[in-house]
Amino acid sequence: MNPDPTTQDHKRIAVRCTGVTKHFGEGEARTEVLRGVEFTADLGKLTFIVGPSGCGKTTLISLIAGLLSPSAGTVEVFGRATTDLSPGEQTLFRRHNLGFVFQQYNLLAALNAVQNAAVPLLTAGIPRREALRRAGEVLDRLGLGKRLDAYPRELSGGQQQRVALARALIHEPRLIICDEPTAALDHTTGEAVMSLLASTAVHPDRAVVVVTHDTRVFHFADRIAHMDDGRIVSWEAREPGADSLHPVPSPPSTP
Amino acid sequence: MNWIGLLMLRNDRAKFGAMIVAVALAVFLMQNQAAILSSILLMTASQIRDVEDANLWVTEPDVECFDQAKPVRDIALHQVRGTPGVAWAMPLLKIDTIARTRGGKLSTVSVLGVEDSSLVGLPRRMRLGSAEAIRERDTVLIDPGGFSLLFPGEPPSLGKTLRIHNRTLKVVGISDASPPFTGLPLLHTSRTTAAQLNVGEERSTTFILARSVAGADPIEVCRRIAGRTRLRARTTDGFARDAMWFYGSQGVPMLFMVTIAIGLVVGAAITGQTFLMFVKENARPIAMLKVVGTTHAQLGWMMAAQAGLILFLGSCMGSGLAAVVCEAVRQQPFLRGLYLPSWVALSTCLSLAVVTGGAVFLSFRQVQRLEPASVFR
Repeated sequence: MNPDPTTQDHKRIAVRCTGVTKHFGEGEARTEVLRGVEFTADLGKLTFIVGPSGCGKTTLISLIAGLLSPSAGTVEVFGRATTDLSPGEQTLFRRHNLGFVFQQYNLLAALNAVQNAAVPLLTAGIPRREALRRAGEVLDRLGLGKRLDAYPRELSGGQQQRVALARALIHEPRLIICDEPTAALDHTTGEAVMSLLASTAVHPDRAVVVVTHDTRVFHFADRIAHMDDGRIVSWEAREPGADSLHPVPSPPSTP
Repeated sequence: MNWIGLLMLRNDRAKFGAMIVAVALAVFLMQNQAAILSSILLMTASQIRDVEDANLWVTEPDVECFDQAKPVRDIALHQVRGTPGVAWAMPLLKIDTIARTRGGKLSTVSVLGVEDSSLVGLPRRMRLGSAEAIRERDTVLIDPGGFSLLFPGEPPSLGKTLRIHNRTLKVVGISDASPPFTGLPLLHTSRTTAAQLNVGEERSTTFILARSVAGADPIEVCRRIAGRTRLRARTTDGFARDAMWFYGSQGVPMLFMVTIAIGLVVGAAITGQTFLMFVKENARPIAMLKVVGTTHAQLGWMMAAQAGLILFLGSCMGSGLAAVVCEAVRQQPFLRGLYLPSWVALSTCLSLAVVTGGAVFLSFRQVQRLEPASVFR
C-alpha cells in the first residue's frame, strides 16, 4: 500500500515513515503521541506537516531526524532505516544529511552571525578559516553580507532566522527539517523567510519538511500532510504548473 | 569545536570570572599553606644542610633532629677519625643559652661552636664581614634574623656586643645561615669560645662532622662508624630526612593538611558547581549542537578545553598571588625560610585539576544524558 497518495515517483522519496507509533511514559502516565503514521517526503519538494498544537508534528520530525526512536514502525531516510542505526551513527548521519531550522532560531549567543552559520562545518572538522569563508558566502546570498559580525542579540527575528537558514544550508544537506520557522515572526517577515527558504533550500536533490500551523504560509507548500491526534488525516498536493493545492484522498492509516 | 566552547565560556562572563576566581583562591590557599608547611619542615633541617663541607653526621643514638643537643663522648671523635673510609672528622658544639644586649634585650640563642682551626660547620655565605674573623676569641657571627631580634630597628652592622654568662662577645660578621626552625638567633663561634659559654657541661662535642673518602660509599662508612662508636652515624641527607620526619610526625603538619584539603575541596566544589550551572544554562545550545551532529566525544573535548582554560587562568592567578605574598613575607628576617617550591606549586595545581576534572566529568554526564529533541520544545 502506498502510504502517501500524492507521491508520484518512489525513487524520489527522501523520507518514508511506515506505521510509526510513539508513546511516552508507561502505565497510567502513558501518552500515545503518534498512532500509526504513514508519511513520505519527496526530493525537490517542500512538504508541510500541519495540524493543531499537540497533534504530534514535532514528535514526528524528531523521529525523522533520529532524535527519538519510534515505539513501533520504521523510519527510512534516503532508503536507510534510521531506527537500525546506533546513536553514534545517527549523529553522523544527521551531520552529513540533515539541516535544521527551529522556531526559536537556536543560535549560539556567544557566536556572531558568520560563526553561527559555520557551526555544521566546524562540527564536521572543516578548518575554521574555510568554514567561516563559506558561511560568509551563504549569508551573503541570504542578504546578510553586511551583518556577518553581528551577534544574535543585535539581529532582528527575521535576520536571526536567515542566519539559522544559512546554518541549515551551509553543509548542503539532502534533507532540511524546519520546525515552525515563521511562528516567532510577523507576517511580512515570515513571508520573506519562507520565500527565501523556498528559493534557496528547495533543490531537485533535496527534500524540505516544514512543520507549521501558520496558515499564512501554506501557499509555499508543494504538499501538505494534515495531522490530527497522532495521525496523518489528509493530504493536499499541487499539480505541476498549478497555483493552488488540491485535496487528495488519504488511505486509512495503520491503527 | 573547542573554539566554540571557549567562545561560549567567554560569553558568560559572570560564571567564567567566578570559576577563575574560585580556582585562583583555592590555588592560593593551598599553595600558601603548602609553602608554609614545606618551608617549616625544610627549616627543621636547614642547619644540617647548611654544613656543606661534611657529608656525615655522628650523634648520640637517640638524637632525631638538630635541636636535640645531646653531647657525645670526646673519645668518639678519635674513634670516628680512625674508622676506615673517613677522610676527616671535626667536632661541632651546640648550646642553647641566654644572651643580653647592651640595650638590655634578652633572648635565648643557639650557639654553634666550630672547630677552631678548620672552621668546619660555618655557613659558606656571609652578608657582612668575614667568617674567618671568629678565629679571634670572644667573637661571633650572627644570622640576619637574630640580628634584627637582638638589635631591633638597627641596620645590620658589625661591632655590636652581646653578654652571655658574663662574657662579652663581639659581632664580627652577619652570616647568611638558613633560618632555624626554632626562630632563635643563631650564633656561630669557635668551639673554644663556645665551650666557655657552656657552663656546667664538661663535654664539648654535640655532633661529629665527618667526610667520607672519595669513592667510599657514605652509607657503608656510616655503618662502620656506628659499629665502632655505638653512636648513630647518618649522611647529611639521612639526618635531614630524620629531622623532617621527626617534626612532621608531631601533628602540626596535620593542621596544615586540613587547610590544604579544605582549599582543595572548596575550590573544586565551587568550580564544579558553577561549571555544572554553566552547562545546565547552556543545555539548549548544547542540545542544538547535538542535533546538528556534534558527537559526545567532541562535546567532551569542548568541555575539557573550557575546564582547561579555567584551570590554567585560575592557577596562574593563584600561583602568582601566592608567589607575591610569599615574596612579601620573606622580607621579614625570621621568615626568610619561607618559599614556594615549584613542586608545591605544580602539585597543588595538578591536584585541583584532578578534583575539578572529576566535577567537570559529572557535568559531561549531564550532557551525555541531554535529550537533543529538547531543542524543539
